[in-house]
Amino acid sequence: MSPSNRTAQPSALRRIWHKWRFHLNALLLLIPLGFMPKYFADAALFRGDVGLGEHEVGEIQVGPWSLRLAELRNEAPRLSGPAGYMKDFNAALCDACVEQVKATYLRIGKPRSLRAAGVIFFGTPYRMGAQLPVAEKTKADAELWITMEGWDGSMHQASIPLSQASPATLAWLNQQGAKP
Amino acid sequence: MNRVQRPSRLRLRAASLMLCAGFSAGALAHNPMCECKAVDAEQIKCTGGFSDGSGAPGVTLDVIGYDETILLPGKLGADSTVTFKKPAAEFYVLFDAGPGHVVEIDQADIEAP
Repeated sequence: MSPSNRTAQPSALRRIWHKWRFHLNALLLLIPLGFMPKYFADAALFRGDVGLGEHEVGEIQVGPWSLRLAELRNEAPRLSGPAGYMKDFNAALCDACVEQVKATYLRIGKPRSLRAAGVIFFGTPYRMGAQLPVAEKTKADAELWITMEGWDGSMHQASIPLSQASPATLAWLNQQGAKP
Repeated sequence: MNRVQRPSRLRLRAASLMLCAGFSAGALAHNPMCECKAVDAEQIKCTGGFSDGSGAPGVTLDVIGYDETILLPGKLGADSTVTFKKPAAEFYVLFDAGPGHVVEIDQADIEAP
């Protein structure tokens, strides 16, 4: 056997690769299909095809105005880096108040002032979003406060129990146990 | 000749794919953050910033009484911190980076030295 013949012998790994590489390519094309149902469900959720969110809280009257509130995901708050646990809410203003409301805020617990009214909803008034920080020490009987500020300078507030707004958050808080 | 080149090209593609995946930046929100600690019995030091790691020099940080009077208006320094004398009245700290971008810290939540 000449030296050139010896070098031409492919290794076992190389033989396996050459035999199966096309099958592997087909498999790589098939794998994404498994993720398609979740992808389309998420796309429908973010586009609004399945409503405001996974858990619709309902219509909430805030002074002369009202808004539809929903949890984007019907799940416990997610840890968002060093800022702590966050919960996404979506809201849609009533048709009559779209032109009148300047800003809408969300907060756990009654706000001390308009300046400290909580996180602000951003986006179109027909589908606004807010990321609400949820402290681990939040009490189970806490209330979610909605503050709406009008272009005329007026301010109106309403509250609903957190247990009604997000049962998943309440379950998560109960699971965490009361923290000091 | 080609046989030798193909695997190296493949390896190069795999490496570039891994690099792209590794260095791709996720879409991260930057929530306001603030932390206050008592330096001693009299002084409180607050540090502000955002969850993406950026600092908050020049951002308003007010010390407000429970009756909503501003006891100590202030702004964070170049190092994103501010130190103030603990007020005699009951108070809370408000890190205010704009409407809806606030962090409230009640006096009861300020760590002792």
